Amino acid sequence: MTMKFEHFKEKLLMYGADVQCWPKDIRSSGLKALDSSYELQKLVKDEERFEGVLKTRKYEEPSRDLAGRIVAAALPKKKKAQRNLGVLFSEVLSEFSLSRRALAAVSVSLIFTLVIGFTIGYSNPSGYVSGEQYTTNLEDFLNYEGDVL
Amino acid sequence: MDTKLLHLDDESLICRIQEGSHEAFAALVDRHSNRFYRIAYRLVSSRDDAEDIVQEAFLKLWDRPNLWDPGKRAKFTTWFYRVVINLCLDLRKKKKLINLPEDIAFADENPGPDVLFDVHQKQAVLERFIHELPERQQLAVNLCFYEGLSNNEAAQIIGVKVKALQSLVMRAKTTLRSNVKRYLDRGLR
Repeated sequence: MTMKFEHFKEKLLMYGADVQCWPKDIRSSGLKALDSSYELQKLVKDEERFEGVLKTRKYEEPSRDLAGRIVAAALPKKKKAQRNLGVLFSEVLSEFSLSRRALAAVSVSLIFTLVIGFTIGYSNPSGYVSGEQYTTNLEDFLNYEGDVL
Repeated sequence: MDTKLLHLDDESLICRIQEGSHEAFAALVDRHSNRFYRIAYRLVSSRDDAEDIVQEAFLKLWDRPNLWDPGKRAKFTTWFYRVVINLCLDLRKKKKLINLPEDIAFADENPGPDVLFDVHQKQAVLERFIHELPERQQLAVNLCFYEGLSNNEAAQIIGVKVKALQSLVMRAKTTLRSNVKRYLDRGLR
């Protein structure tokens, strides 16, 4: 079935002068109508000219490094946003490029050292000074007149 | 760049970006920056402004990747077109439209048969005619004619039904055609 003049004109505006690019369901009827009508051929020529004018519209290509610039701008932004102790720690560790096993060994030894340190610190009686003893020692200090040489 | 990322579709790349992958972000920017620059340029008519807008849109995505919601089932490009277009429209409102000449005088009183106008003048006039169209008609003609998007995708971006989009394209082209014709006729006199 071929297309009527008004219908063809409408589709021409909608889909452009290249009838071969029209949607499949109307393409063949459009082409048939075009083949059989001088009026429609004139209409298509006119549309082609008009589209030619539209295509003269000014356009400037983007800078070559547009994508690179965007990617670079994103990097420090995210780092700043995520800056916390965990991220900092993982960044420092990644600098040394340790394997997972080595990383686990370092972590375990650090925790072990900390536990031992705390245990020794809390269980050492010599470090304990009572309030009374402190007061006495202070009085001794204030009353101290120096050694007689 | 990890070559595996180049084979991933946009939606998978966004999922990676949501996990913090900068490489996925780089792949997405590399794939689409020129496409979004084109539509931005068409709307703001300035290379610097268009580049700034594309950068701003991508950085927004990088800062808040969860803005794209896969649950809404919108294609990434459809959604991102909307983001870029909104930024362009905001900028245009700020700048109160591009400074285009109100009326263009002919450079030559007796132009030759082939050269009617100076190319730049012609481009400026055409640009003005397009910018004078109602906003949605401008979007329709830019997306369908200049960007070659399907009516379906353009309709989704603008947020109208396909029939309405087709009507916008037709009205825009009819207005442009009559303006261009009027202008050319004036030139031939």
